[in-house]
Amino acid sequence: MALIFIRTCIIFITLLIIMRLMGKRQIGEMQPYELVITLIIADLACIPMSDTSIPLAYGIVAIISIYFLHQVVCLIDLGIPKAKAIVSGSPSIVLNKNGIDDKELKKNNLDISDLVESLRSAGYFSLDAVDYALYESNGSFSALPKPEYEEEQTSLPVILIKDGKFDENNLQLTKRNKEYFLRVLRENHCENPKKLLVLTVDGNGKIYFQERGKKFCVVRMNWEKKLW
Amino acid sequence: MVKTAVSIIISLAFIVGVCAYELYFVNTSFAEFRKILCSLYEKAENSVATHEDGIAAQRYWQEKKSGLHVWLPHTAIDSVDFQLSEALGYLYEGRYTDALPKIEVLIDMSENIPNAFKLLPENIF
Repeated sequence: MALIFIRTCIIFITLLIIMRLMGKRQIGEMQPYELVITLIIADLACIPMSDTSIPLAYGIVAIISIYFLHQVVCLIDLGIPKAKAIVSGSPSIVLNKNGIDDKELKKNNLDISDLVESLRSAGYFSLDAVDYALYESNGSFSALPKPEYEEEQTSLPVILIKDGKFDENNLQLTKRNKEYFLRVLRENHCENPKKLLVLTVDGNGKIYFQERGKKFCVVRMNWEKKLW
Repeated sequence: MVKTAVSIIISLAFIVGVCAYELYFVNTSFAEFRKILCSLYEKAENSVATHEDGIAAQRYWQEKKSGLHVWLPHTAIDSVDFQLSEALGYLYEGRYTDALPKIEVLIDMSENIPNAFKLLPENIF
């Protein structure tokens, strides 16, 4: 049983480290250690239950070991704030008043489309609709909207450039060519589109773009009619 | 916080208690079984072992078996049962040369099974 206890501890710690390394993408509404427990406790209960050649005590001791580890992590969470940040992680502010924080996104193995998707799930369709957006340590998404954001959301923005590359399908939606957008970028002091982190455009001609490491910029083009 | 600390102490005490009892029970059971098997082996080597000697070893094993079922994989217990029954059959027929390897296997098993419970890296990983 001592072996089972040690082996359970090793597997628990390994899974916890892996979950933390995988970032917030893998977690949903649970703390990393809670997800680890959910992943392993079902098997711990099932295998000795269905395989009669394994003594039931193996499963019972392993489950009690998991309970012990859970309580230890809870105690760390409550008592040592620094250790809590290591075990459970801390919130990541991925969008602030300067725009998207690319480094924070990468740290959590996320990209711009994941952020846009999370924003849409939270009811914000434009990147400039919120002042702050963050992924909590349990992987859930929170955003602080701008006061007048609802008036801004009159058309669905689409990603036209991501990491310096044009999305050809979305370009066709705009009924304009690459040159048009490159000219808009040049006029707004963005000489090298390859340095662009993201460029979105909505049906009214509102362009949102951000260069890597710089503040975002919003340009409103006077399109004759709303395209979508 | 106090409740959590108490639950940690209780669960750890339970695990340590179970581990200690398991180690003690498995080691003492197999140490005694090995002694009986060694004496049976000596007798078989000198061609004086009787079927009753074998039955005595089997009786001890049957006594301990139900307790060991809680701690050992049941396949390990089945293997001991199988080897012991074969050894007993050979002793009944007086075929000592056939019984000796079977008893030797049982002696090895009575050493190896408790060794599998020791806190050694090869057992952990």
